[in-house]
Amino acid sequence: MAKVIEKTKELNAQYGEKQAQYAEDFAKPFDTEAILEVRHLRKTFPLKKTMLGKVTKELVAVDDISFKLMPGETLGIVGESGCGKTTAGRAILKLHEPTGGQIIFNGQDITHFNSKQMRPIRKQMQIIFQDPYSSLPPRSTVGGILSEPVQVHKIVPKAQIKEYVLDLMEKCGLRDYYYERYPHEFSGGQRQRICIARALSVNPKLVICDEPVSALDVSIQAQIINLLKDLQKQMNLAYVFISHDLSVVKFISDKIGVMYLGAMMEFGTKEDIFRNPLHPYTKALFSAVPNPDPTAKMERIKLEGDIPSPANPPKGCRFHTRCPYAKDICKCQAPAYTEVEPGHFAACHLLTEE
Amino acid sequence: MEKKNKNYLTGKEIRAIAKENAQIMRRLEAFKNRICDESEFVTTMHDDANILEIEDLHTYFFTEQGTVKAVNGVSYNVPKNSVVGIVGESGCGKSVTSMSVMRLIQGPTGQIVDGSIRFKAYDYQRDEDGEPVADENGEYRMEEKVYDIAQMPIHEIHRIRGKQIAMIFQEPMTSLNPVFTIGEQLDEVTLIHVPDATKEMAKEKSCEMLRLVGIIPENVYDRFPHELSGGMRQRVMIAMALAAEPRLIIADEPTTALDVTIQAQILDLLQDIKKKIDGSILLITHDLGVIAEMADYVVVMYAGKVIEKGTVFEIFQDPRHPYTIGLQKSKPTMTLDDSAELYNIPGNVPNPVNMPTHCYFKERCAKCTAKCSGEYPGMVQVSPTHFVACHLYDEENANG
Repeated sequence: MAKVIEKTKELNAQYGEKQAQYAEDFAKPFDTEAILEVRHLRKTFPLKKTMLGKVTKELVAVDDISFKLMPGETLGIVGESGCGKTTAGRAILKLHEPTGGQIIFNGQDITHFNSKQMRPIRKQMQIIFQDPYSSLPPRSTVGGILSEPVQVHKIVPKAQIKEYVLDLMEKCGLRDYYYERYPHEFSGGQRQRICIARALSVNPKLVICDEPVSALDVSIQAQIINLLKDLQKQMNLAYVFISHDLSVVKFISDKIGVMYLGAMMEFGTKEDIFRNPLHPYTKALFSAVPNPDPTAKMERIKLEGDIPSPANPPKGCRFHTRCPYAKDICKCQAPAYTEVEPGHFAACHLLTEE
Repeated sequence: MEKKNKNYLTGKEIRAIAKENAQIMRRLEAFKNRICDESEFVTTMHDDANILEIEDLHTYFFTEQGTVKAVNGVSYNVPKNSVVGIVGESGCGKSVTSMSVMRLIQGPTGQIVDGSIRFKAYDYQRDEDGEPVADENGEYRMEEKVYDIAQMPIHEIHRIRGKQIAMIFQEPMTSLNPVFTIGEQLDEVTLIHVPDATKEMAKEKSCEMLRLVGIIPENVYDRFPHELSGGMRQRVMIAMALAAEPRLIIADEPTTALDVTIQAQILDLLQDIKKKIDGSILLITHDLGVIAEMADYVVVMYAGKVIEKGTVFEIFQDPRHPYTIGLQKSKPTMTLDDSAELYNIPGNVPNPVNMPTHCYFKERCAKCTAKCSGEYPGMVQVSPTHFVACHLYDEENANG
């Protein structure tokens, strides 16, 4: 127990040290072109508290991630379960209050906004959830689900709401007679279309897609991906596309971030990441994807063991316990997140050696 | 009176359906629980090279909304020492087929209505009561017997289930018992299936199996399932399936709940295991990539029917059925050119109640012809091992 407290203290101290460096970054002017800028985002959850409410152990779900997103662009975040990709998405929307870092949306620092200040921002950033079965209210009709946000945010005058919703439904590939129907009458793919329509009903600029196609079948998955791509072109949307499926992320994204145990391991444009993956974890992740071609027999980089618990991440580089190229330095010192090529970031000792 | 919404049934209709269902279910339950002689369910294989032959299997669910024909005339074979992959979207009946083989269909609603499942078992010689017979040295003699699983009374199924055919389930979290240690659960397999087994024997066997799946037995034997990670639990499940030395392993989506890097480990393990044991694997998955890597033969299912089957090369390099082609094109791959729009199959899988009589894929098919409105297409043989159920290839069959 004492050991755990010590470790937490140590981590917090490290973060405190970094805080000074971060302050410099935070003071930099905002990029006016970018729709979303995230600087050193951190989110922790308390695991244990003393009787007086002091946190003695915490889980670092997201540790220091930074990126920029332009309007009309898609950022794909990939990683295995428990890597903090969903928490990152929710922290950006401020559905989880971020513990540290800065979120700049549309030239405004929204990190410390309260719920009242967030209201006008909410209609500009929306989320699509993974499970279309549990994210729709079973007791309202499709018309009701889609017109409620329009009404609340006063997007169009009351008299035009129905017309507006029907137009939106057509855009998302839903027939007009679905207006009176209830969610249980639809299949998974149709429900996901309703979820997409609901997210787009308030004309957002940024949509966080949290595994939107993972619960769907392959043939339906393709329909939804195409729909998302079409809508992006029409409405100039920016997406943060969170998924564990690399092939889907490759298809939809412009930029890709690879996460492991709460930290960004590699970040770059799609071409950078797929043509020239730098981090050993990215390489291993790519080679683990089964190839639907029986003739192709590729060499697989095997990763031994399981993902360590995020509550107790390994010291030094998070990946060293499974890394086939791990060295002594990886066990004690965390690698810096550096720009290896222009726009291509990675955190690995092997890359910074020379 | 004209009904406003076709999707809803009136109370009267539901009662009529329930009455009809009750009659059918009572008859089938009685057949399932009958006491009969072994000769009634011992048959012969049609082809001796196969270990499992499924022929014209029909498994229905008698629900209040009507009869759901989850498996509607499925036939395929599993040859010895091979991996057969079954691929299809959710609701296509791939899991129900395997559950029928294990006789795990939840009654009385779910019933095997028709068809035969012939399995070549290597079983103990049994007396009239069905108990294993020992010779004068106390050893049990084995013999090869072919059982028709669909005809077996349910109380005889223990001869096969768990012993001859083992199953690996999708959710390793829910299929292990949370209140028993891993060791206890593994030992149970040996204690049940090997006559006169002692606890020491069982433990030795369990440890051997754990080593086989790449776990150090001391680390997990006395632990509870919740203390293990998803990948470890799936390994334990595989060890458990192997403990009784089955001839056929049914792996029902063994990697769907796992991460890609862990999935790669489990697939490698299954490949290894297949080499080590003298058996076959029936692999059920919706992931075409997994199938391409693991399987020797592929069966593609759609809405309760087999629409195409063949070797893995035939299915992936020369797919014939429009659905198989569409399925492969609509899956984004790592090598695909992603500037173009992704191909997609329009529409949805039809409602499983009240299936049409014509081809189930007709509404979604791009190559649909006038003939498709007729009766359901039969199986057309394209090559000695490649079959497809589509009217497009009817002529090919007639010519040659």
